[in-house]
Amino acid sequence: MTAADIKAHIDPIRHEYADGRSLVLPALKYAQTEQGWLPPEALAAVAEATGYSQAYVESVASFYDRLYLEPVGKRVVSVCITLSCMLRGSDELIEGMCEHLGVEHSHGAVTTPDGAITIQEAQCLGACDKAPCIQVDAENTIGPLGQSEANALLDELRAADRPRELWR
Amino acid sequence: MSDALPTKPTMVTISINGKEVQAKPGTILVEAAAQAGIEIPIFCYEPRLGPPIGACRMCLVEVEGMRGLQTACSTPVAPDMVVHTNNEAAATAQDGVLELLLANHPLDCPVCDKGGECPLQDRTFKFGPGETRFVEPKRHFPKPLDLSTEVAIDRERCIACFRCIRFSQDVSEDGQLGFQERGAGTEVATFSGEPYESRFSGNIIDLCPVGALTSIPYRFVSRPWDVQNAPSVCGLCPVGCNTELTMREGETKRTTGRPNPNMTVEEGWLCDKGRWGYPAAWSADRILRPLVRDANGTMVETSLEAAVDAAARLIAASSATQILVGAASTVEDGFLAQELAAVLPNAAASRLGFPDSADLEPLRALPRAELSDIDTAGAVAVVGGDVTNRHPIVELRLRKLVRNRGALAMVGPRTSPLDARATFGARTAPGQLSSGLAVLAAALEGASAPLIIWDEADLANEPAAAAELARIATAAGARQIELAVDVNGRGLRALGLPCQTAPVAAGALVAVNADPLESPGAMAWADAIDGVGAIIAVATHRSAITERADVVLPTLMHHEVEGVLVSTTGRAQRLRPGSRGPREAAAAWELLIALSHRTGTPLPFRTPAQAFAAVAAARPPFAGLSYSVVGDEGAPTTHVAQSSAPQRSTDAVGDGIALVVTTEIFGDAVSWRSDALVSRRTPAHLVLAPQQAATLGLVQDQRARVSSPFGTCILPVVVDAQAPEGAAFVAMGPPASGTSALLAGEQVPVNVMIEVAE
Ligand code: SF4
Ligand code: FES
Ligand code: FES
Repeated sequence: MTAADIKAHIDPIRHEYADGRSLVLPALKYAQTEQGWLPPEALAAVAEATGYSQAYVESVASFYDRLYLEPVGKRVVSVCITLSCMLRGSDELIEGMCEHLGVEHSHGAVTTPDGAITIQEAQCLGACDKAPCIQVDAENTIGPLGQSEANALLDELRAADRPRELWR
Repeated sequence: MSDALPTKPTMVTISINGKEVQAKPGTILVEAAAQAGIEIPIFCYEPRLGPPIGACRMCLVEVEGMRGLQTACSTPVAPDMVVHTNNEAAATAQDGVLELLLANHPLDCPVCDKGGECPLQDRTFKFGPGETRFVEPKRHFPKPLDLSTEVAIDRERCIACFRCIRFSQDVSEDGQLGFQERGAGTEVATFSGEPYESRFSGNIIDLCPVGALTSIPYRFVSRPWDVQNAPSVCGLCPVGCNTELTMREGETKRTTGRPNPNMTVEEGWLCDKGRWGYPAAWSADRILRPLVRDANGTMVETSLEAAVDAAARLIAASSATQILVGAASTVEDGFLAQELAAVLPNAAASRLGFPDSADLEPLRALPRAELSDIDTAGAVAVVGGDVTNRHPIVELRLRKLVRNRGALAMVGPRTSPLDARATFGARTAPGQLSSGLAVLAAALEGASAPLIIWDEADLANEPAAAAELARIATAAGARQIELAVDVNGRGLRALGLPCQTAPVAAGALVAVNADPLESPGAMAWADAIDGVGAIIAVATHRSAITERADVVLPTLMHHEVEGVLVSTTGRAQRLRPGSRGPREAAAAWELLIALSHRTGTPLPFRTPAQAFAAVAAARPPFAGLSYSVVGDEGAPTTHVAQSSAPQRSTDAVGDGIALVVTTEIFGDAVSWRSDALVSRRTPAHLVLAPQQAATLGLVQDQRARVSSPFGTCILPVVVDAQAPEGAAFVAMGPPASGTSALLAGEQVPVNVMIEVAE
């Protein structure tokens, strides 16, 4: 994605942000839709489009869990591990999902070898009433979720086509 | 500015810890307390980095009537404010902040370079907890990484105060440093982990309030209680940044900004050359022993006594003596050269460097400004020169000007990293400065406290532009700052030392830190040097002249001597030794006095202070000055018009395209000698615009033969799309590069022929 593409995306929403720095975030999210993560070239393009330094843009990107500086899967599944969800079994849920996918559970993000799915731990998704819950990319939060439903969802995601734009 | 009505000159009265304190409205609490002798602990507060950001929370104090505790670094005084910096609420908060900062800090003070001069250590002792309650494992990062070849970062020690990042983003504006990750995982890093590349990178070491950023050349070299510090000035360019030299076992181990920065000059910042130039003292070509040519013509080592005697005998036996002082010589050295010449029969003293020019008088006669005046100017016009490479700290001031919303206009033939920040810039063809001046007038007109900054060499070579610029500045009521060519050119000129532009023919030549064979006019000197009866070289490092000399007297570098240099803005500032220098070397002033004794015509001086007192009495520009008046901060010299300065010939000589002389910040002798700057060095080279290169049949990295009427040299080609067409930009490189062969001693404009070198 080029700086011009990013600029074309942020220019129409510029007026919504009082401080130009706030535009870095939508610019990063948009830049990520192409590959699902932000390689250095994408960060450089955002820097060019927004007029902030590359170090600053990388610093913003590294702050957020949903902006990825390493390659991730076609779909990213975030499993909430905060209090409500934990009390309702999220620890077991994430273990089971990892097992279903055949990957080792880690506290960061882990991607299936075929690059189809990344599982990552998330803090409270703001849907405690649906605990335990998960979120697929930036889509709706789904829950409460039993193990078999979760596994079925993973199979479904794996079979589905790659979305054109990877909003996450 | 000055004509604005004094709105609120009244002082605000506040109470701090029960003490009544008067402060100017708007004063930040930390400063108001400091004025009253009360220390409020801080880490991130550093006004030189811009407005306070309140990042570290160290400065929490209680202000009666305000909810919660306040950060004293960002709270201005208000009438009748009642502040407690050490009551229970404040003390508990400060203690708590320190406990949190230390929770993840490795406490490896015994192996940390900062130990003993560490604000974190000091504040913990004074305001912090004696013990930690943190029993969990601390965060760990691999031990220090190289942020660049000179700066190491130990991320475990970082307290995330943002100082280094603000310097990079907001002062040097290189934009390379940022925080990555968050919370306990926060670390200072560059984009994609690339090396930090900045001409000013070392300043982040001085700024870091903990041991996270350390100087690789100073790594594990010393402890603060093993050293003595001397306030001195940097003698590597005419800006004259104030420095502090750290001496251990008689040697300079480190150069830093002063703990009390000189806000008029460098504001505490140094360029990396000034910071890491001192290892040039130990380069392989340093002259450690006196040398005298024996009957067979070979140079033999001898004692300093014997060498001075030999030099005196050569002088006594000569019909005439010329004492030539180099452009970076101190005022005392220049003066003693004059005094010695006055007592020796048939002798004269002169300086090597950029010639005097009567055409610059109208500019020099304008009211003079200091570098700090750039901050508050409404508009600044920079005419000619290349501050980035030749007066580096001025670049930081100009960046600040733009941040302060002052207008910056740049006119001249050389490209600059400041071009992007300039309100307008005109790249003029060589010799065509005048063509850019019309727009300048518009920029200066109506601006508050306008300034012009002009380059000595460029304007001396364009008298019409100099006259026009002086007119524009006068009309706009602008003050001026001169960008001098030579380190102490101003000081030596103020002594009345004439510039030596042509070789001397006969008798004895005493070259004091001067090598005419590696300076402009080198070819003429090379032709004439055989006619010189005897050569006595007073020098720090080997060079062409020391190879030819009959006697070589080792002398001291700027960080090893006492003396005065006059800065580009005309400030007299004191060098103080931060090193004893080689055992067999002596300061040039001392050698000149010794020579006067051995030639039987003793001068009545025994110390540089005495010599300087005599300068003040005998040379009007220095009237009223003395070592104590100059002090630690420097004092302005007085401009005295030079009625006798010769008219320069300014028509370009030779055929071909115009030569534009450039200097790279790390392209000089010191950078090539200091092993701390190995990765920064740039050799002499030829920069051509793409069209120009194509016309000449040259491509990047090819070797070109460059010839002027004075000489020839072979240089690698750099094709630069930014460079203006129609000119040859020659980066001079270190002295032995041969580039000075292209120039005349007069340093008049030249044209050069360029062809592919076989
Ligand atoms: S490295 Fe030093 S200056 Fe930079 S944020 Fe950390 S503590 Fe502050
Ligand atoms: S704790 Fe899981 S959604 Fe709030
Ligand atoms: S010094 Fe006030 S918050 Fe850092």
